[in-house]
Amino acid sequence: MSDSAAGTLPEERSGSLLRKVAWHWRYDEKRELWIGWWTLVVFYNLYGLLFFVITRTQPPPQPSLSPAEIAQWFADRHHGLLYGYAIVSIVGGATAVMNATLAYSMRRMSVSRAFAYSYLVIYALATLPGMLIMGVVCSVGAMRPDRDPALMSWLYDFAFLSFEGTMGVFLIGSLVWMAAVLLDENRVFPKWFGYLNLCNALTEVVVAPAWIFQDGVFAWDGEIAWWINMGVFVTYTTVFLTLLRRLILREDFGTGPLPELSQ
Amino acid sequence: MSRADGERILLWTLPVVGVVWLSAFLLFPGFVQPMSPTMSAEEVAAFYRDPENLPRIRASMILFNWFAVGLIPILALIVLQIRRMAHRTPIFSYSLLACAAGGPTIFLMANLFWLLAAFRPTRDPQLTLMFNDLAWVTFSTQVGFLIAQSVILALAIYLDRQQRPVFGRWVAHFNLVVAALLVPAAFAGTAMTGPIAWDGLLTFWVRNIAIGVWIVVMAVVLARAISRQRADEAVAA
Repeated sequence: MSDSAAGTLPEERSGSLLRKVAWHWRYDEKRELWIGWWTLVVFYNLYGLLFFVITRTQPPPQPSLSPAEIAQWFADRHHGLLYGYAIVSIVGGATAVMNATLAYSMRRMSVSRAFAYSYLVIYALATLPGMLIMGVVCSVGAMRPDRDPALMSWLYDFAFLSFEGTMGVFLIGSLVWMAAVLLDENRVFPKWFGYLNLCNALTEVVVAPAWIFQDGVFAWDGEIAWWINMGVFVTYTTVFLTLLRRLILREDFGTGPLPELSQ
Repeated sequence: MSRADGERILLWTLPVVGVVWLSAFLLFPGFVQPMSPTMSAEEVAAFYRDPENLPRIRASMILFNWFAVGLIPILALIVLQIRRMAHRTPIFSYSLLACAAGGPTIFLMANLFWLLAAFRPTRDPQLTLMFNDLAWVTFSTQVGFLIAQSVILALAIYLDRQQRPVFGRWVAHFNLVVAALLVPAAFAGTAMTGPIAWDGLLTFWVRNIAIGVWIVVMAVVLARAISRQRADEAVAA
């Protein structure tokens, strides 16, 4: 994984994972970047596990449930919501390291620092509607099963609409990254990745009707507002994790074009 | 006036902010004897309707509303110290900057819920209970940015490999201990009584004292780092 200055350093230890990690911690010049990359990989896997398996809040339930059905929905996942979102609260701050690493990709480009800084601030803000508000509201919904179902229904709407319906941070954030990739002359990312950012931005446009419809393809659980968007998001995330890994392998800590990988 | 002078002015805002926070903490009738999650809707409504409590709730939360962001300049000073460390990339300083807005924003959300509950205390007690729950759950469970802040700072210090590191290694160990002490609070939603509940020993007392101690210790080491930096710059000039 490492391509640290050859010859001058002790050879990378083979053997246990722990010894490998210790070697990188001591000698790898790119350790800060690898810390960022592994945080991204671990976090996205955990995010999937927490939202799809433990809390079972994804895929989202129907917006059109009656208050009694919503109270039942909370009752069915009582422990999952409370423990799952507790873990989300603990690891939520990891997004800071992730966004810093992605901002670094823009800093390595030939573009103005303004792109990296905008991205960093926009995505720092995005953590709240992206998961933390949902965690608080679902916990409040789950903690008192005897709460008036009419209020449970309001908490349910608040949770899912803050999560699905806060669009601007991801819309503008993706467009900032897109513009940076397209303007960059250091070949940090291939140009087609710029257009993939546009696809991700467009998913935030088509989700807007979730604020209006309680049923159908545009509702928050619909084929367009949820299923297509999730497909694009998973593709986008997988692609940028792969490209970011290549960036780190190619990184020479210079300011000019990034060298290509030999082979 | 040098850059370091301006930094010292920012640093000296901390004791002022600290005094305001402590006063607001003591003024809020729901903190000194933390409100229990087992209170019924009627009891919670009565707490907000009590003519003794209501002005104190409003005044303390208005103070917090004004000064909750008071820690951001101090975090910005820590970001600048991280930039002086022997790192290859700005990832740690970027990360801490990304955390800096998170903690205060979350505290402001809790603050809004408390103020909303107090705005019309004659509302249906079920609504007052819900706003009170939202305030306490936000305040208690959302420790993620604070944990990240300490862990990032600890990593940055461990990887600051130069002859005279900016902060001593004990500051990194200290930050990891603080991060660990904040973890139980995240589970406040799972318990209505006991140490994990939002009025419990771990979630309320240990966590809030850990945050207080972190602020004091970091202010002292920051002041020392800044004055050392100032001395170094004077010699270099």
